Amino acid sequence: MKRTLLIWLAAGMLTFSAASAQEAPKDPEVFKIGAILAMSGKADWYGKVMSAGILQAVDEINAKGGIEGIKLEAVIEDHKSGVAKEGVSAITRLINIHNVQAVLSSFSPPTLAIAPIADEKGILVLNGGGVSTAMVGASKYLFHNRSLASDLGRAAAKRANELGLKRLAQLAWKSDAGESIIAAVEPYWKSKGGTITATEFMEVGAPNIDTQVAKIRASNPDWVGLWLFSPDPGLALKKIREFGLRVPVIGIEYNEDIQKIAGKHSDGYEYTSDYFTPSPEFPWSQQFAENYKKRTGEDPEFYAANYYEAVYVVAEAIRRARAKGGDYWNGAKLAAAIRENPEFDSVYGGKMVFQENGVAKKRVALFRVKDGKSEFVSYITPD
Amino acid sequence: MDLLLQLLVNGIINGSHYALLGIGFGLIFATTRIVHFAYGPIFTFAAYVGWLLAGGLGLSVWVGLTGAVATALVLGLLSYLLIYRPLELRNAPVLVPLIASLGLYIVLENLVGVIFGTGVRVVEHLDTQIFFVGPVFFTSLHVWQVISFLVLGGALSLYLRRTRIGKAILAMTDNPEMARIIGIDTLRVSLIVFAIGSMISAVPAMLILLKDGASTHMGFAAVFLAFVAVVVGGVGSLKGAAAGGFLLGLVQSLGLWQIPTEWQNSIAFIVLFLMILLRPEGLFGVRTR
Repeated sequence: MKRTLLIWLAAGMLTFSAASAQEAPKDPEVFKIGAILAMSGKADWYGKVMSAGILQAVDEINAKGGIEGIKLEAVIEDHKSGVAKEGVSAITRLINIHNVQAVLSSFSPPTLAIAPIADEKGILVLNGGGVSTAMVGASKYLFHNRSLASDLGRAAAKRANELGLKRLAQLAWKSDAGESIIAAVEPYWKSKGGTITATEFMEVGAPNIDTQVAKIRASNPDWVGLWLFSPDPGLALKKIREFGLRVPVIGIEYNEDIQKIAGKHSDGYEYTSDYFTPSPEFPWSQQFAENYKKRTGEDPEFYAANYYEAVYVVAEAIRRARAKGGDYWNGAKLAAAIRENPEFDSVYGGKMVFQENGVAKKRVALFRVKDGKSEFVSYITPD
Repeated sequence: MDLLLQLLVNGIINGSHYALLGIGFGLIFATTRIVHFAYGPIFTFAAYVGWLLAGGLGLSVWVGLTGAVATALVLGLLSYLLIYRPLELRNAPVLVPLIASLGLYIVLENLVGVIFGTGVRVVEHLDTQIFFVGPVFFTSLHVWQVISFLVLGGALSLYLRRTRIGKAILAMTDNPEMARIIGIDTLRVSLIVFAIGSMISAVPAMLILLKDGASTHMGFAAVFLAFVAVVVGGVGSLKGAAAGGFLLGLVQSLGLWQIPTEWQNSIAFIVLFLMILLRPEGLFGVRTR
């Protein structure tokens, strides 16, 4: 009797332990992550710096043995400076040829275009560059580690309000990003007692904006909001000043491409932006900046930092998902890992937390251009 | 009223640019019946060579312009000799050179990026004068755009009417078969029009480089607007191509006086469709029954 009881007890324990034992993780040979960037076209500066950040992170992770001993590889595709259908073609190739489960996306149109595919195929998408608020909620697997249009535009409008300006004329990209900024700025500006004298649009990369600038000038604003991204603020600044308009111009982007086109007309231009600066207080930020400079010869700015950081977020998500075992190498499990614990180390310093809407909050800074160079003015928190 | 005057001046300036593009494209199309879409990336190549000389190497703008014109000349001639001429000799159907031209467009456009990089290129430290006449403003580059149309358009007109080759070109424009029958060397004429048409494109290319900067996709707008100018003005008519270009520039500018500027690119399409619907032969074309 006793012996029978013991046998049954042992069998029961064996069954129980077998049932509760974690399934071993099903590892791929290599973790391939995709990136869909502006590698050609007018906005290829973004692709250049974003890919530099990505490749640096991949090399660093692999130099330390990869993720749990498995190498990481980045496959970079081109959306040709924000063409939505190119983004769709790119993610199709990444999924069908390379079997990626995570994609680093950029620019709002391609990101919005690939969102339904991410949902259908269960692909984690991390955006570190696009700003359109239309992207929020576009996919349950879509996350963002940069400030969106609403924050940038309202910060710029807040600056104008602080300067006592009242009559805004705005020039925006005819795109989700441009329209998002207008949708965020207009009600805020009107709530502060301001008026909008003109709202003009330009196609992304349009070479001729004389008509738009003529209409802005004719509306007699006391400041101009430039809701444009590189390199179009350069042309806009040049045309605005050539047209004899001397009022303050406040935008949301500035880089060397913009400076080249605007030339001397960039002086006095102010803009709001995410702000990456290495600090001794945060050794990771310094180490990233030093290595970036060694690799590219340039100091990193926030786009490079965002995409560098995004690779580490994906790597950490892989680690967390792998720890649960089984068939973890899929976008849905990676996204679940992020939602379960949305706190990640940030190369900006400290931690960043992905909010419920998928956006990691970052501080917005105000800069002014003097002699072609950006000078940090202050952090600015949109109301 | 101030805005309307400024838009009128903008329209004349842009119209000069489109008219010059239309003349170059139209000369090739009218004479050879080849829809030379590669005209666009040849325009781009010219701009980038101009940048390399005037911007990259710091030489004078005139040296840059010379290099741009020479580049366009060589590429124009090579595209005819290597791509279109073999198809002509094989009596290829009309669609075949069109498709070949599209293929050449893609190859040349990407070649610009491979050779020069894909970023925007500008000639830095260029001082342009700005003129104010009442409420209207324009820069010295705008003046050059209008002058270049007047000078090149006038020179081409004189060349076509007063020289033997020019008359041969006009004869071939009118009826290529008859031109061949009466002994005109159509190969030589084709080479000349490809040379002249391509060289003409280099001038607006250089001006756009100096004014707005060069980008790898700038050729699309150039060839599209040139095509619209030719269709609106009337296929086969060079004065029509000029008129079509001006009409397009003026409508595009003045049309935005009251309608939102987001419709800017659509206006060219609207003008094209209206002309095809209402007067398919164009402003100066001859209706065939």
